Amino acid sequence: MSVVSRGLQSLTRREILRFVRRPYNTFLPPFITNILYFSVFGVILGDRISDIGGVPYIQFILPGLVVLGAVSNAFENASFSIFHGRWNEYIHEALTSPLAYWEMVVAYVVSSALRGILIGILIAGIGAAFTPVRTLANPFYAVAFLGVITTLFAAFGVIGGLVAEDFDHLTVLNQFILRPLVFFGGVFYSLDALSGVARTASYLNPMVYMVNGVRYGVIGVSDIQPDTSLVVLSGLTVAVLVVDVWLFKRGYGLTD
Amino acid sequence: MPPAIRTDDLVKEYGDVRALDGLSLSVPQGSFFGLLGPNGAGKTTFINTLVGLVRKTSGTAEVFGHDVEADYRDARDAIGLAPQEFNVDRFFPIREVLMHKAGYHGVGEDEAADRAAEALETVGLGGKAETRFDWLSGGMKRRFMLARAMVTDPDLLILDEPTAGVDVELRHDLWDVIRDLNDDGTTILLTTHYIEEAERLCDQVAIIDSGRKVTVATPDDLTERGTDLVTLTLDAAPTGTPAISADGIDSVAVDGSTVTLRANSGSEAVPIAVRQLEAAGHRVHDVDVSRTSLEDVFVDITRTGGDATDGSGGSVDPDTGDDGDAESPEVTL
Repeated sequence: MSVVSRGLQSLTRREILRFVRRPYNTFLPPFITNILYFSVFGVILGDRISDIGGVPYIQFILPGLVVLGAVSNAFENASFSIFHGRWNEYIHEALTSPLAYWEMVVAYVVSSALRGILIGILIAGIGAAFTPVRTLANPFYAVAFLGVITTLFAAFGVIGGLVAEDFDHLTVLNQFILRPLVFFGGVFYSLDALSGVARTASYLNPMVYMVNGVRYGVIGVSDIQPDTSLVVLSGLTVAVLVVDVWLFKRGYGLTD
Repeated sequence: MPPAIRTDDLVKEYGDVRALDGLSLSVPQGSFFGLLGPNGAGKTTFINTLVGLVRKTSGTAEVFGHDVEADYRDARDAIGLAPQEFNVDRFFPIREVLMHKAGYHGVGEDEAADRAAEALETVGLGGKAETRFDWLSGGMKRRFMLARAMVTDPDLLILDEPTAGVDVELRHDLWDVIRDLNDDGTTILLTTHYIEEAERLCDQVAIIDSGRKVTVATPDDLTERGTDLVTLTLDAAPTGTPAISADGIDSVAVDGSTVTLRANSGSEAVPIAVRQLEAAGHRVHDVDVSRTSLEDVFVDITRTGGDATDGSGGSVDPDTGDDGDAESPEVTL
């Protein structure tokens, strides 16, 4: 007998089918956007920017773009799906079922993390077409970091979907909180480029650890020791998941 | 055997507003139970408390003996809900929506597909299986809500205004489906604004108002509590209000040559009234008795807000034997 209940399988399947069946919405935008990123920052400007840590600039930004796409999609998927379900009240189909609260959270998080991973792989594939990177320098770290950070942002997305009271709030969460963190998280530059307060402040940005972790896994270069980052991020992920389950149990944003 | 639904002193407060004000109710297994009340009476709040969409402030609520909070999974598994508002997943064709819902209740994929097809056929939507909800007509949407409630094969089917806004023919079709389910042993909890619907379908009716139980009785018992209207047409207008008195005759009024009586039993009042009128020299030309409808009773009860208590009459909770308390005043009709 499967340890995963039929109910959990059904909700997870529903959540995955929701984005898989809309490829123009799910896969095409990151495909186009990342071709533009690699074209402009890699091919056109890349030659004018010196190597970073002995790595050509176009290769240096590849892991960062993977992280950018992966975490954005994981967050957006979870937050949108839950908020849209609340907005149109069809989330009641799951809420009035015998699914355990933790099962609902797992379904939303797993499906959203999977979307993030798929987008990450898509971007890595585009990167492979623009760079000589064909293999992973440290496969364990690449897989582990990608798994942890997409799960973490899917879990954050669950909170976003529960607390948002309007579509505007989703935009605020994504554009004014998530995106600046990612852009100041070392996607396009090394921390060596910073000094003083800016560098110190960067260490407070969790995205720095994520970008550097994936970068270490993909091209073997990192500003930060990856093991500590992986442990801390894993702990943070568990903590946010616990908050998710607690919010579902309380019915926050879900019940009157 | 626990009742299908049992609530005790159930309270739900929204700030200063008490949507449920100590509601105690018992719905026997296998019954067809109607829940009537004016808008804002607390019907939907009551239902949503059972399925977990509203968190109660205090009191207890159980479904087949399962507490709706402590034992929420078993309680929810037993319930199929067709809510008043359309809250259907718009991303998928309706066949898949049903399969997902069945899946959430632990039904395997193949069986879920069979159940979805059967439920859609039952409500006459077999040909629309691959259509999304938004593309259905209003009547089809209402039918789909019933299909979704049925697809999990619930022991308790809760129907919140299931025939709101549908035409007469469709309403009768839906009644047939619901009646069949009840005949097969499914407990039905029905809220409706169509009194005729409750009168035709329900074994028992609870009238609630302002979050409180006003009365529980069979539709026949309720209509019995009402007063009949007896209209007697005389050959000539009397000079004043004729003196007609007997037990069970509440009031007499005259308008031209027409005398109207309010009586507990119209059939008993007619011969008495005719006899007394003829003894007073009047000649009765025509008699008409208008029976009280459940709608009249409902309007009377909810108009008084359940405050017309005199301690006599009223209802007895069929399951608990409770004949009411200070928070559930009975009314005399």
